[in-house]
Amino acid sequence: MESVDKDGAAGAPIDKLVVSGISKSFGSDGVLDDISFGVLDGEFLSILGASGCGKTTLLRIIIGLEFQDTGSIFKDGVDISRTPPSKRGMGIVFQNYALFENMTVLRNVEYALLRNHVARDEARRRATVLLERVGLTEHADKRPHALSGGQQQRVAIARTLAMNPDMILLDEPMSALDVDTRLALRGELKAIQREFGTTVIYVTHDQEEAFALSDRIMVMYRGVIQQLDTPDALIDHPANEYVRSFVADNIQIKIDSLLPYARSDS
Amino acid sequence: MRRTPFSTLTKLVLLAFFLVAVVLPLARMLANLGDTDGIAIISSPRFAKALTNSLLVSLTATLISLAIASLLAWAVTRTGLPGKRIWPILFTLPMLIPSISHGMGLVVLFGANGFLTNLLHLGGSIYGFGGIVTGSVLYSFPVAFLMISDVLRYEDATPYEAADVLGIPKLRQFTAITLPYLRKPMIAAVFTVFTLIVTDYGVPLMIGGQCITLPVMMYQDVVGLLDFGKGSVIGLVLLVPALIAFVIDLINRDRGNAGFVLKAFALRRNLRRDIFAVLVSVLVGLFVLLPIGAFVVLTFVSHYPNDLTLTLGNISRAFGMKAGTYLLNSLIIATAVALIGCTVSFVVAYFTARTRGRLSRTLHLFSIVSLAIPGLVLGLSFVLFFKGTLLYGTLAILVLANMMHFFSSPYLMIYNTLGKLNANFEAVGASLGVSRAAIVRDVLLPQSRLTLVEMFTYFFVNSMMTISAVSFLANSATRPISLMIPSFEATMMLECAAFVSLLILAVNLALSGIMGIVKKVMAEGARAPERTLRLEAST
Repeated sequence: MESVDKDGAAGAPIDKLVVSGISKSFGSDGVLDDISFGVLDGEFLSILGASGCGKTTLLRIIIGLEFQDTGSIFKDGVDISRTPPSKRGMGIVFQNYALFENMTVLRNVEYALLRNHVARDEARRRATVLLERVGLTEHADKRPHALSGGQQQRVAIARTLAMNPDMILLDEPMSALDVDTRLALRGELKAIQREFGTTVIYVTHDQEEAFALSDRIMVMYRGVIQQLDTPDALIDHPANEYVRSFVADNIQIKIDSLLPYARSDS
Repeated sequence: MRRTPFSTLTKLVLLAFFLVAVVLPLARMLANLGDTDGIAIISSPRFAKALTNSLLVSLTATLISLAIASLLAWAVTRTGLPGKRIWPILFTLPMLIPSISHGMGLVVLFGANGFLTNLLHLGGSIYGFGGIVTGSVLYSFPVAFLMISDVLRYEDATPYEAADVLGIPKLRQFTAITLPYLRKPMIAAVFTVFTLIVTDYGVPLMIGGQCITLPVMMYQDVVGLLDFGKGSVIGLVLLVPALIAFVIDLINRDRGNAGFVLKAFALRRNLRRDIFAVLVSVLVGLFVLLPIGAFVVLTFVSHYPNDLTLTLGNISRAFGMKAGTYLLNSLIIATAVALIGCTVSFVVAYFTARTRGRLSRTLHLFSIVSLAIPGLVLGLSFVLFFKGTLLYGTLAILVLANMMHFFSSPYLMIYNTLGKLNANFEAVGASLGVSRAAIVRDVLLPQSRLTLVEMFTYFFVNSMMTISAVSFLANSATRPISLMIPSFEATMMLECAAFVSLLILAVNLALSGIMGIVKKVMAEGARAPERTLRLEAST
């Protein structure tokens, strides 16, 4: 847990995750159509799209909670298409966090360790360290509902990190929060990612959020990838009309959201 | 989520259980119709009279019940009625006594030699239509009261404040805001109460006199004449109103999660309103307490009204006739029904509320359909289906009959609770390498504890006082104590019947009290920082 640094290799960026030809339909409704892309090690990748575009289903397929009809998923070069979710080295944070309300914050974090045969003392030690690193030490004995939305999100992340994943998937984790908290949490999320060095796939329908956080953004529409590129490239060279109109609002937002930072920086 | 073979297997087992415990017995009863001339029975004048009586009685009693319940719900939620915690307990007291006791209570008060008949020199007779209606109202209004007061308690005050600002008169507010808001819950309450009354035989058996209703006719044909064919025909007819009520209730049921209160009602001072609320509450309170008071007098007085000396003789007489054994039977049955019922309904609801698929939907339908089966019909079906098996004549079959009879309400409680818990718990578990079973035990079960306590209470209390499903199934060894009431009444031992009613009330009150304390402790425990959680780390 202590060190997950993987910056030894200085060569060309390696694909941490490769999604290849994934299709999925529920009954007669096609949800995902031949999705292929790669995620770099340590990258912050956002999947951006309006609701119903298939982004959450794709996320659930990546971690193995849902099964693709066709296609494969490779992680570190290994085919994990049939690997159970817990063996994929991934963690997931849901929209509403799904924290265990009947347990304390500390218990939430150490629960999975205890259930996976980690000794009690060791589990307690690791959970305590994790809570310290996400800045929740003083809240360890509280119940999740006594915490703010942002703090709850950090508990959910710490609970996921307990199993030592090298990838974290987040499914619209900000949608339940108010605007101020969202802004504050973006910084926190990036800081946590930097500290733990994990690869992040972030699902959102909020362009502003995707632009503020991501190394690259994948725009989806009706189960099809429209464009996968850096934020700047999406604005400067949109691949089609949909991407152009979808990110257009953000050009204005980009300027607006820079203003407060510009002032505080000076 | 990948559906494991194990969960599919469990669902199939549960489905098979419902098949044996509900569907096949009912089918057996229907098959029984083959040998009987159903048309002849249905077209007989006696049947037509009973049907008319049943419908008239049930409609009248339902209307009165709803009116009283609405008034009380209003008094408890929208007025300055003092002692708001006490009144609901008093108003729901009748739910802890068998319906037959309510009928007897009226006989004791208003009968030929009744307390109030003698005291007030009343003329006329309580037996017949009026008596059945009064008795039915007495035991059914608490159910409606609970349903309506719950709805009123969670009503949002904002629309009324907006209406006040706009200067809309109160009457218009009532018709434009209150009535539409109450429509669905009212429909639900009407059908629940109607079904309750139309299938009950306790009250009309006791106080009906010449006014025979369908359940009484069925009871007499089966118990008195051992005419199972005729019983089956009436049972089938009894299923009809219950099934209609069930379907309408199903369509009517609110699917959306109950809204939370945006703004609670602020009480304005209004002395006249409050005095009216107190008057209504006291009146209904008396209506509830009078029969119970009469039971106490009957029990401890030698022989009302001829010999008024205090005595414990009636009690020892009752125990001389094995009241102790039957009480023990009842306690065993009620405890077993509560324990097994809670377990089975939790497991079923886990699958129906938290897994998808056709099997889950079928299980859900089976689980709520028992709401539509009158106890008498279920009892007769059990007799016909299980006769000759090892189960027949044991306490176990009484446990099974009661459990199925009372299954749907507690099932719906836990179904709602489990459905409201975060849908992603199992997914979180899967991503963390924690099994579904562990999530059930460590997360879902602890978060359903309060509901489980309520379910336990419901199963227990109803099993203690029911006389419907068990009446055809019990024998002299397995008889529950509630069935002593009709037999005492039949042998004119009203004093002993009164004592048994009190005994059942006492047991149910004690259990409700204990469960109330348990709930309180649990609620406090949930708020306090966690003390101990059983989590063994095996290394």
